[in-house]
Amino acid sequence: MNPNDELEVNAYVDGELSADQQAELLEAMRQDPELARRACELNQMKAQVRLAYAEPPRPDTRAGNVVKASWRAIAASVLLLAVGMLGGWLLHANTTVPTADPARFVVLDPDGRGQAPAVASDGETRIVFHLTNPDQTVAGELLDEVEDLLAAYEADHRPLRVEVVSHSDGLDLLRMRLSQHKARIGELAGRFNNLTFVACQNSIDRIKIEHGVEVKLVPDAEVIDSGVDHVVKRQREGWSYIRV
Amino acid sequence: MIGKLMIAGLVGLMTLSGAVSAGSAYDKQKVVYHINYDDPRQQAGAMRNIQNHINAVGKENLDLRVVMHGNGVSLVMYPDALDSVKKFKHANATEQMKATIDGLKDQGVAFNICANTLKGRGVNYEDHLYNVDKSDIVPSGVAELAHLQAEGFTYLKP
Repeated sequence: MNPNDELEVNAYVDGELSADQQAELLEAMRQDPELARRACELNQMKAQVRLAYAEPPRPDTRAGNVVKASWRAIAASVLLLAVGMLGGWLLHANTTVPTADPARFVVLDPDGRGQAPAVASDGETRIVFHLTNPDQTVAGELLDEVEDLLAAYEADHRPLRVEVVSHSDGLDLLRMRLSQHKARIGELAGRFNNLTFVACQNSIDRIKIEHGVEVKLVPDAEVIDSGVDHVVKRQREGWSYIRV
Repeated sequence: MIGKLMIAGLVGLMTLSGAVSAGSAYDKQKVVYHINYDDPRQQAGAMRNIQNHINAVGKENLDLRVVMHGNGVSLVMYPDALDSVKKFKHANATEQMKATIDGLKDQGVAFNICANTLKGRGVNYEDHLYNVDKSDIVPSGVAELAHLQAEGFTYLKP
């Protein structure tokens, strides 16, 4: 692995890559198991560091006073260390802001593909639309609805997140060659940073295997492993689900 | 012999748990059916699904809603209305469908309609739709579906 790759993987694990860069690296990882292994190791290390320093060990309350005091001191120093490290880490994170629009809601995240933390502040409405229909009229009606919804919530200052998951034949909406709504998708994605278009990798792979066609997606599409998995996961996370 | 005993035991358990769930008002199943398509056969199939659902669970154990938006509003649209409402290809409130809907309503099923669709497609609910009350209209079909799921409703799209 060359030093550039090492840098890139580190940036990826720290969540500092833009959506496009992430997608590119993920593609590279698919082809280079060594790269994927390295990302996995780094992720694990990061998690261990967090685990080790985020929580100070609990003092043993049954011990004598003297011992208690020393435990407290140790706990305090560990806590101080943790706070310091966390502070430094945050400071570091702050100085290396991702190059892409940071407000943009991305599905891809440092912990893997499609594992986005749907950390929603209270009261945020989260809806995942599941599109499996190739009919571009139906897809157009979906975009109308999504736009109405986003505009209404924006006007009322109510928090909302929307994902459109194109899966199976529904993938056509996001295909450069077949979509009749490319410009509209670009316009909507640019206007609303709480809207994400998601394409299913399994569907892309199947098209390649069955038809020998290399699928090209519109620039605003993000790719996740499995559309079905993703919508199930979203429902488990409390998202509302609407089958288009 | 042991097998028979086990089966008897299982049946007993099931009866018991059935009795418990029927006895508690909090165990009501909450389900929302989503209709946004205008194919009359598919819509009739959906109504059949709902009736079967009620038959299986019992109407007293169900809070069942139907949310219609977009083309789905055709479910309750009078066929004559197509002359004045141009943005619909189908209007499926035939005599038979009206009877089916009435039957489901009698069993406690609520039929809700999207106001955005009515406005966007120039539908007058009093003239063009069968048996729709003002209170049946929700501001947005999609938002209603999201809201109901947040309230614990199970989403089904037949």
